[in-house]
Amino acid sequence: MTDDSVQNLLRTLAEADASAEAPPEIEVRLRKEFRSRRQRRRWRQAAVWAASAAAAIILVLIPSRKSTVAPINAVEVNAHVTTRQNNPAPLAGQTTTMPSPGRIAVRPRQQMEIATEFFPLMVPGPPFERGHLLRVELPASAMQMVGLPVHEEHLADLVQADVLLGEEGLPRAIRFVKFETK
Amino acid sequence: MSESDEILLARALHGDEDAFTALYRRRQGAVYRFALHMTHSVAVAEDVTQEVFMALIERGRRFDPSRGTLLSFLYGIARNHVLRRIEKDWWTTPVEAVDDHPGADDLLDHLTRQETVERVRQAVVSLPPLYRAAVVLCDLEHATYEEAAAALECPVGTVRSRLNRGRAMLAQKLARSLVGTVYDG
Repeated sequence: MTDDSVQNLLRTLAEADASAEAPPEIEVRLRKEFRSRRQRRRWRQAAVWAASAAAAIILVLIPSRKSTVAPINAVEVNAHVTTRQNNPAPLAGQTTTMPSPGRIAVRPRQQMEIATEFFPLMVPGPPFERGHLLRVELPASAMQMVGLPVHEEHLADLVQADVLLGEEGLPRAIRFVKFETK
Repeated sequence: MSESDEILLARALHGDEDAFTALYRRRQGAVYRFALHMTHSVAVAEDVTQEVFMALIERGRRFDPSRGTLLSFLYGIARNHVLRRIEKDWWTTPVEAVDDHPGADDLLDHLTRQETVERVRQAVVSLPPLYRAAVVLCDLEHATYEEAAAALECPVGTVRSRLNRGRAMLAQKLARSLVGTVYDG
């Protein structure tokens, strides 16, 4: 059988099946799923905004906890990852001693705090003069909101974040923090 | 003027259901037929079509236009699902082999167009999956070599060689089941 004969037979099959389509119920199921996912995504967005608003309220109610930070333009925050080292201070009543020669010194474990860049929450926002940082816990799905990758299984896990609040109490930017033991 | 697949996808990913529906209606036939010709099973073709567009809802952002058309992207997802189904199902539902020994002399009388189509369909589905995919895409769905290469994740040259090999195997199978019958008759 020649190549042309094969192609003719294949053409016959293609013509016979040219109008074959998936049944309409598949479209119905897919559209339902599409709407359901869109709804879930909106809920996640609402959760992030609610958490940010809650953070702003907490800041207003508990002023002693706030820490003033230097003026930052939230939109122009650098994109590189920053790290900060936490050396735990000795607790009250504890004394620290230098290891004497010949003794084995056990070095205390240090925790590295690794933060992402700041992601603006208001673009464009009102002019930023001064603000406050507030450490909050949010569902990991909030990281997806700013474009960070999160595995589907971990969307509900809690992660720590710093919310940058403007003087008027509006959340301007957010960064996510994780801790690594050194 | 109708919107491109890429624009419809972008709108769908922003939550536009009408755009998703338009995209589905435009491309579901091709995906369904690809799965049907690959498996010769209506049930599997329906499942695969649904899975492909579910994957598009979930992972549509992974589509990269620089690597091929959206249709190639959909074929690629469909191919992965089909291959998984073939691997999973072949124990229990072996592909019906093409009849190597056409039977009665009066077979010619029954060789209607429909039977010819069915024999070609059986011959296609009895090809090894790699060759089958190339034949289905290029000869049945009229995809370009470039589209097929993007869908099959291989170079264009590989598509050509798989297509040639697949057609040669088909020629042998069909010669035994069709032409042989005519000569016998």
